[in-house]
Amino acid sequence: MQADATEKRMRELMLAALDGDAAAYRRLLAELTRYLRPWFARRLSPSHASHAEDLVQETLLALHTKRSTYDRSRPFTAWLHAVAHHKFVDHVRRHAIRPTVPLDDDAPIFAVDDSANAADRRDVEAVLTEVPERTADLIRQTRIEGASVAEAAARHGMTETAAKVSIHRGLKSLMSKFAGSGK
Amino acid sequence: MTNELIDRLSADLEPTPPNALEKRLFLAVSVGLVATLLVGPLVLDLLVGRPFGGAWGSSMFWGKLAYTIGLGGLGLIAVPALSRPDRRRIWPFLLAGAAALLALGAGTIGWMQADWAMPVLMGGTALVCPWLIILTAAPLLSVLLAAMRRFAPASPTLAGLGAGLLAGGFGAAAYAFYCGETSMMFMAVWYSLGIALTALLGAVIGRFALRW
Repeated sequence: MQADATEKRMRELMLAALDGDAAAYRRLLAELTRYLRPWFARRLSPSHASHAEDLVQETLLALHTKRSTYDRSRPFTAWLHAVAHHKFVDHVRRHAIRPTVPLDDDAPIFAVDDSANAADRRDVEAVLTEVPERTADLIRQTRIEGASVAEAAARHGMTETAAKVSIHRGLKSLMSKFAGSGK
Repeated sequence: MTNELIDRLSADLEPTPPNALEKRLFLAVSVGLVATLLVGPLVLDLLVGRPFGGAWGSSMFWGKLAYTIGLGGLGLIAVPALSRPDRRRIWPFLLAGAAALLALGAGTIGWMQADWAMPVLMGGTALVCPWLIILTAAPLLSVLLAAMRRFAPASPTLAGLGAGLLAGGFGAAAYAFYCGETSMMFMAVWYSLGIALTALLGAVIGRFALRW
């Protein structure tokens, strides 16, 4: 069911892209990147995991230069799978890599989505509602989005010291609430 | 890095018409066919000294034409599917093999009725026939393979084999206008050999030229 919805969405984007819609094309490529990266990474042994990015790019490039070979009446995901598979085999051959893909691991490309892990993010948001809104925002900015304490403090019009104290208190209260179970 | 690539690719996007692959193939086959038909008057007639219509009026002329165009047509059916990454179409090759066997069987019966006379098998041109067929097919094969470099065949070797069958079949048909042989056995052996060699040549070239 979920695969069908993905196929439908991807195919619509691809058809729009074939008709020259650059925005749809950009969205398609961006979405495919998220699916292809873990797909390749899983296929490569951990020591070659760094090749996944190259393979993603090679696949996108092949999709671009070979897009005339996509038959509009056929499933897009099957075509893309064939292109990605071809690129993977070619890459493995060229780099003389011994692939270590377990036989049962032939999961479809659209099984795993590694865009910001949505479930985890939802949990964090739920947890952050437990502390005052300003404290929650300071924690989010400094601990998740990577802003410095000074930047976050400036955004809320506080001194750096006050922000530090606020973050520290907020985290402490969260720890006492959620870390108690020992997990 | 990947984002930059996405930016560049989407800036480079140009609309792709439906059936772009078929249109490109059709264009390549048309251009290549004209070039191959020119080999007849320019090379076979002027250089090799074969007059046009050597087997005119023989029913075998039409037999040769049907056989070669049939094999070329099977190649034409195979090539579009073999040019895609997600398709595979083997049956035209099997059918082509069956047609060759059938022609050999019919030719053998004719040869037997002629009491195994050597000229029925060898005619006057047996040893040059396959090579001249390859020569006649070469322009079509080159144009076709060049056009197919834009495609993404799941198996470059098979795609090349299909292109070779197409070019060999139609090349042999063009050659038939300048060939004076009128025996079934001659066609079944030497025409088939010429077409098969062209197909093999296509497979060998395709293995490298059609890689992507």
